[in-house]
Amino acid sequence: MSVNKLERLLNLTAVLLNTSRPLSADELRQKVEGYPPPGAAFHRAFERDKDDLRVLGVPLKVERVPATDPPVDGYRIDPEEYYLPDPDLEGDELAALHLASLTVRLDGLDDQEALWKLGGLGATDSPGLQGDEVIGVGQMVASIPTDPGLVPIFQAISEGASIVFVYGGTERELDPWRLDFHRGRWYLTGYDRLREDERNFRLDRIEGEVRRSGQPIVHLPKPATSEEPRRPWEVGADEPTVASLLVDASRVAGARRQLGDHVQIDERPDGSAVFTVPVTRYDAFRYFVLGFMEFAELLEPAEWRQDIITWLEAIVVRHEASTESPA
Amino acid sequence: MSRTTASDRLRRVLAIVPYIVANPGQKVAALADRFGVSEKSLLEDLSVVFMVGLPPYSPDSLIDVEIDDESRVTIGLADYFSRPLRLTPAQGLGLVAASDALLSVPGTDPDGSLAQALRKLGNVLGMSDGDSVDVFLGSAETSVLEQLRSAVTSGLEIDLEYYSYGRDATSRRRVAPWRVFADSGFWYLHAWCHLADGERLFRVDRIEAVADTGTPSTVLPDPSAAEKGVFNASDTDPNVVLRLASSDRWIIEAFPCEVVADEGDTFDISLVISAVPWLQRLLVRLGSKVEVVAEDGLPQASDLAYEAASRILQRYHQ
Repeated sequence: MSVNKLERLLNLTAVLLNTSRPLSADELRQKVEGYPPPGAAFHRAFERDKDDLRVLGVPLKVERVPATDPPVDGYRIDPEEYYLPDPDLEGDELAALHLASLTVRLDGLDDQEALWKLGGLGATDSPGLQGDEVIGVGQMVASIPTDPGLVPIFQAISEGASIVFVYGGTERELDPWRLDFHRGRWYLTGYDRLREDERNFRLDRIEGEVRRSGQPIVHLPKPATSEEPRRPWEVGADEPTVASLLVDASRVAGARRQLGDHVQIDERPDGSAVFTVPVTRYDAFRYFVLGFMEFAELLEPAEWRQDIITWLEAIVVRHEASTESPA
Repeated sequence: MSRTTASDRLRRVLAIVPYIVANPGQKVAALADRFGVSEKSLLEDLSVVFMVGLPPYSPDSLIDVEIDDESRVTIGLADYFSRPLRLTPAQGLGLVAASDALLSVPGTDPDGSLAQALRKLGNVLGMSDGDSVDVFLGSAETSVLEQLRSAVTSGLEIDLEYYSYGRDATSRRRVAPWRVFADSGFWYLHAWCHLADGERLFRVDRIEAVADTGTPSTVLPDPSAAEKGVFNASDTDPNVVLRLASSDRWIIEAFPCEVVADEGDTFDISLVISAVPWLQRLLVRLGSKVEVVAEDGLPQASDLAYEAASRILQRYHQ
């Protein structure tokens, strides 16, 4: 049963790839071996076969058969759309892709068929194989969650198509540029046609489906600004305010890691250090600074220092009020 | 059931036949190895391909599969299967994201085979600059990551200087390292900790120093532990319910917590607290608007923010 079906699907694909004009269902029944006689059984089998090919990603074209009245649907596969252009991968490059697919997995996506199409798994003992310096081959190091919008957005980026989706209760039309995964989440960057500027979106906050607007993108991608993802207090396009943060010796190593290499550090003789930090979002920065508890102190700007003091005093006042008059 | 099988085999045949067409004369064993399938299923697939072709299905219009005495395979008369089917968007994304992620691992050669492969793949997929997908697994110092990796491989115990965020303190501990992995934007070391006398997850970016001990690990990984999530709340850990303003909604996604009530302007979350200093810090950072609604097992939770705020204020008023 399954061999016959496989044979029939292969024959159908061969015939559809080899024709230059659309073939009607009836012609296909006659040309392709293995179909039942005309009638409901044929119709069911043919519908299932079309579905099977589409699920595989076969670009099955439906066109009107020329000179038919009433019009009759015809089918063909355009070889240009079907054939994978040869990426011309060397053995070691194929092996590197195989290694990547073994060590990093996107939830719900299987790379095996993709590797088959590219020419197999490559030679795993290939010299110059990257990555096994850091991790053992075959040991999965990371699993990345996926999101319903991810594949449609990736496809739109590849094809240079603009998209439409609802975000924060508003419909957005976006020229999609880039997908970023960091801190466990997927983000989309592109040109927001309504806001007329570059915008970032969290994929898990997109409401409903991502659809095509039917138009090609107009605004071309700007290169990503930095390799390392921005910190919460560096987000946004506003001109940054420079803050000075004094950190005690015991917390300097941690502060250095969290603030990043691009931040200026002035070490003091006692081991403490003053970090000069560009900040675009003060609320996120306050959250960060308070994480040091009494082991760090915001020196400048003066109004932010005062805000932290006010913030802390409000906690104290509130507590004293609640203990004086218990509810 | 048979439908699934047929379409799975179709995928395989449509991918493998073009390779054999383009690379004639390879042995069955080598082909099976290259595609990660058994010789038996490869031969079964080839026996079907043998029956495929174009009408009128005469010998000269059927695909010609030849396997010679030395089991070398040649496929002819299959021009229409000379190239494989394009990658689906999901397949392209899977490979691009995995490659980009591996390239972000500190220590991977940025100009090596993987980078080349990604660039070539990007061209085929219509990604102009190879910059359309960027996966960042987490920041970690190359030297630390390499030391951990080599300790895991060699099965030797190591000494860690570790900053515990929950306890806000640095400690020195000997561990038997089991596995290094990335999850939700951070690198972790899964290990047996002799100080705690239990298994622990350590954030790699909070490891301040690693020292080799040369001592073989005596505690081996519990196989069931390998797949556990990063946050392992224990049943005995206390629970608090916080009432927050709607502007603080980001917290729902930032921490493992449960929304237990939602009034629109305010909402309540239930959090399991494994370390009191952590809760104290959270309360100070959230400020005077946050309210501790219930404090199961933590009778002094309301006082925590007050104590911390007073301590920090002392510093500012010096």
